[in-house]
Amino acid sequence: MSEDLVKILDGHTFVVSDSNGDIEASPTDSTGLFSFDTRFLSKWVLTLNGERLSPLSVDDLQYFETRFFLVQGTGTVYVDAKLSVIRRRSVGAGFHEELTILNHDEKPVELEVRVVAGSDFADLFEVKDALKKKGKYSARIGKGDLLLEYERETFRRGTLISATAPAKIDGDGLTFTASIEPHGIWRTDLQVSTELPGWGGGKAAQGRARKNMQHRLERWLDEAPELQCDSEPLRDTYRRSLVDLAALRFSPPVAGGHSLPAAGLPWFMTMFGRDSIFTSLQALPFTAELAATTLRALGEWQGTRLDDFRDEDPGRISHEMRYGEMTAFEERPHSPYYGAADATPLYVVLLDEYERWTGDRKLVRELEHEARAALNWIDEYADLQGNGYLSYERRNEKTGLENQCWKDSWDSISYRDGRLPGFPRATCELQGYAYDAKVRGARLAREIWKDPAFAQELEKQAADLKRRFNRDFWVAEDEYFALALDAEGNQVDALSSNNGHLLWSGIVEKSKARAVVRHLMGPRLFSGWGVRTLAEGAGRYNPIGYHVGTVWPFDNSFIAWGLRRYGYKEEAARIAAGILDAAECFDGRLPEAFGGYERTLTKYPVQYPTACSPQAWSTGAPLLLLRTMLGLEPHGEHLVVDPALPTSIGHLELLDIPGRWGRIDAFGRGRIDVERKRRTAARP
Amino acid sequence: MATTADATAKFFDDLSRRGHEPLLERVTASFRFDLVDGGKTDRWLVAVNKGDLAVSRQNRKADCVLHADRKLFDRLAGGEQNAMAAVLRGEAVLDGDATRLVLFQRLFPGPAASRKVGRAAREPGGRHE
Repeated sequence: MSEDLVKILDGHTFVVSDSNGDIEASPTDSTGLFSFDTRFLSKWVLTLNGERLSPLSVDDLQYFETRFFLVQGTGTVYVDAKLSVIRRRSVGAGFHEELTILNHDEKPVELEVRVVAGSDFADLFEVKDALKKKGKYSARIGKGDLLLEYERETFRRGTLISATAPAKIDGDGLTFTASIEPHGIWRTDLQVSTELPGWGGGKAAQGRARKNMQHRLERWLDEAPELQCDSEPLRDTYRRSLVDLAALRFSPPVAGGHSLPAAGLPWFMTMFGRDSIFTSLQALPFTAELAATTLRALGEWQGTRLDDFRDEDPGRISHEMRYGEMTAFEERPHSPYYGAADATPLYVVLLDEYERWTGDRKLVRELEHEARAALNWIDEYADLQGNGYLSYERRNEKTGLENQCWKDSWDSISYRDGRLPGFPRATCELQGYAYDAKVRGARLAREIWKDPAFAQELEKQAADLKRRFNRDFWVAEDEYFALALDAEGNQVDALSSNNGHLLWSGIVEKSKARAVVRHLMGPRLFSGWGVRTLAEGAGRYNPIGYHVGTVWPFDNSFIAWGLRRYGYKEEAARIAAGILDAAECFDGRLPEAFGGYERTLTKYPVQYPTACSPQAWSTGAPLLLLRTMLGLEPHGEHLVVDPALPTSIGHLELLDIPGRWGRIDAFGRGRIDVERKRRTAARP
Repeated sequence: MATTADATAKFFDDLSRRGHEPLLERVTASFRFDLVDGGKTDRWLVAVNKGDLAVSRQNRKADCVLHADRKLFDRLAGGEQNAMAAVLRGEAVLDGDATRLVLFQRLFPGPAASRKVGRAAREPGGRHE
């Protein structure tokens, strides 16, 4: 998305306009008012006496609210600045716009104010893939309002537009006659409401009143731990992360008004199993609410049957939920779609980590059935080759996902010479997650479900998996773990960042950790900003290839966690320093991914061209990095603090960290000279 | 496998016979299904109490009511159509708490033609047939 577009959002609803507040969407761009994956406005243009306006400035008041200051004339010279126009727009149940016109002249003025409105009711999938509509459009002119409608069989979506000032309404918009006294003001409030009839969830989810939003944001910020530190950029990044996370929260129809993180603007404002779980893990030391809601909502939608179209199996955690027309007519499988191989073991990982932080045994008992079904899925449904490894192969060959791991683009899994393996594919990090799920599941079984026999069985399976994994995935001559095993059980031997996730999950034998760390921090993977998804020198390496060379902040935050797990504090601090330096270059808002170019080459991190921003797990990355730098680790009823900070951070305090201990403060001082480390590493 | 025409009756008969459903152990709520069949409306009431099921034909107030054509429900009950997609399409209309339907839809079967995967695919006599 172009940078001069203005975006405001609230969970599932967002508006993208140009800098004068107008919307004129083409079929393939993502400007407009979107809610629940449908574009409800594709045209929204303001004119005075038939003329468009020019922006003077745009104030981003909050993530859900913005203010446009406009004047007449479209050139660079403002010939007649006797009028000012202010559009103040906020999202929530569609959007609300306060339109104010100020007359600065000593003479009265009469104006024709027109707002042109239209909607293509495009499904977000249609916008992404430029597809044609199959239904019929209509416009109904009511008493003081205009209803734009779209109908295809029983499917109906509507946009209702109304104004407080008297207006002449036609099928394409509203026209006002504004008579303004000298130095006078004219005002009208415009309300645009989205309609999803016949669906209980729609109205409920839209019920968040605009006036509560400011209050909710303040409460959200108040309840988060307070960060005090010498580094101003870090303070900014922390605040930006909290605010963006608040913006990305949404209440899916199943969550009883509670919220979980949507994946990211503009394409992914919906519940994603994987993204919601990773973001909830990152945010746990700061807020446990996201984790609790994610666990509940994903639990409700857990798979219960075999369905090839949705790649659904009993016990499988869903990948992606969509509400648009193509999903409704089963032209897309997202109702929900289950094609992720990692979300299910990660669900158990999150449940355990959540309990370790919060002590909320009640939820762990409530979700016992779901957690057991998830553990059962790993062995019963996901071992596609019968070799004891979790693998994936889509059954929906038309619209399902080929790669069902977080690196889900078509070319992400390759041999070192660049060839692509066949299916099924057993990527390495999946085995790590499965191992961790079994170990953590065993703890829950023993301590909370009171089933020691099940705990013992899981521990036995975990130990066996770890032993086999360290034998079968280890690329002995180069000392790292292969990216995957192919359908024949051979190593897909490219060197990748997935090695860091293996440290995080604990599946790496102690004796192999040092070699793995050497690769992660070595010149082929570490760019100076962070660890590349694929190592330089691999056949498919490309510094701006989506999953084949870029640096992902989310990926790096989990790698840092893995490094801490194996005792590599300094290396974790170097990754934290690199990613947080990059955040500073992006004004505190980390993109989904940025280029894998060597840091000394570009000086600034190069943003990946179509990256989503804000994106939930990038927003969560600085939070997890704060955890790894401070070495926060729940231990029984206590929180252990073991700081290892880069010198650039200086003094750092994180106050009122919530958890089963109540609230605890953590302090640290930067003692690790990452600059020196980098200079040393750069030498051959 | 039941023919499509009586898939609805078979579905509710099965629930009634089952008496208890582990997938709904967290649920205590009542569901009513108002199914339009030509000129008349057939009603089923399923009262769930921590997974215990009581099925009747009573016309009583319920926490969640699903309005649909009987033919559509036959297809949901027979695994030929997906309940969530039908609601998104406006072909089935929901009254009350959507959360509850999400839980209830767990009971609908998947398409009969779906392939076996994992252990079941390797062991024809395995658990999931």
